[in-house]
Amino acid sequence: MDPIERTVRWILLCGIAVSVALMAAGLVLGVARGAALPRGVVPLAEIPRGLAALRPAAYLSLGLIVLIGTPFVRVAGSLVVFVRARDRRYVLVTASVLLVMCVSVLLGRA
Amino acid sequence: MAVAVVAGVFGSMLGVGGGIVMVPMLSLAFGAPIKVAIATSIVCVIATSSMAQTTFASRGMTNMRLGMLLEVATCVGAVAGGVTAVLIDGRVLQFCFAAVLVYVAWQMNRRGGDVAPVRTGALEACYYDPAVGHDVEYGVRRTRLGFVLSLGAGNVSGLLGVGGGAFKVPIMNLLMGVPFKAAIATSNLMIGITAATGAAIFYGRGYMDPHYAVPAALGILVGARLGPHLAVRLSARVLGIIFQVVLLVFAAMMVVTGLGQ
Repeated sequence: MDPIERTVRWILLCGIAVSVALMAAGLVLGVARGAALPRGVVPLAEIPRGLAALRPAAYLSLGLIVLIGTPFVRVAGSLVVFVRARDRRYVLVTASVLLVMCVSVLLGRA
Repeated sequence: MAVAVVAGVFGSMLGVGGGIVMVPMLSLAFGAPIKVAIATSIVCVIATSSMAQTTFASRGMTNMRLGMLLEVATCVGAVAGGVTAVLIDGRVLQFCFAAVLVYVAWQMNRRGGDVAPVRTGALEACYYDPAVGHDVEYGVRRTRLGFVLSLGAGNVSGLLGVGGGAFKVPIMNLLMGVPFKAAIATSNLMIGITAATGAAIFYGRGYMDPHYAVPAALGILVGARLGPHLAVRLSARVLGIIFQVVLLVFAAMMVVTGLGQ
């Protein structure tokens, strides 16, 4: 396997494992409290408090955030590999992808 | 959840997200509001892509460089989707989209088999194909044309919120000479990146609903574990036929939604 394939695979496996663990924890907590699945996600800023209070919604939301964030980390990871390999052209290409991703998320917030 | 498992198998096997099927299903069969249905479908695409890439990447079937290069075009095209929305009527676009899907399916059918891999010196890659029993080495042709068409595909999918993979696979396969399986794996990588951007926006706006998204994501992860193994083992010919059928289903869905508006 190339370094880039190894790195990407590792990032993806970690991301999936963490996200599944969080969602499973949320489901278990929900069942333990006898509550149905929550109908909305918890805003980013309120997640730490929700986690501390063992609120299922906070765990489910964080699980979704990790799932959504994994491709961002994957692109960043391949950027690092290209930088290390001194592959200038693809450092530029990958950096532009990451930039467009971040800019659209920021624009989309408005 | 069973639906999500099946969607995961097909999506990861063919390199398409399947939003065009998932969205109407979630909103009609499960009663999800349309924005929630879209948000859920995007989460499913991410789950499909992440899980499937653990298999595709480790087998070297994903052409990472090609994927990143075309992703630049797709992202820019998607961002510009808003501009196109002002210029063209959505319904006209949906019918054009359906027509292109049918045309692509017909082209793939006419070709019959997979493209013959040719070494071109550009973006070359190599993977082992168990279905033919040897390594497949290939290079990429017409990179520029592929880039320009990806701009267009990104634009349309940014506009309609669907149809990334259904165009990416044929563009890479028919035009750029990428073998079918590598095209599927690379498309699978790209749709995950595009979807993550969209999902982050939907999350921020509060359209994400764990009631739908969590069971769907978990189901998809199970299905997407299986799909890539099928994609790796099946012959490119069989995969191609399944892909053509799915394209025609997509086209039919597009016409139905277009008429329903």
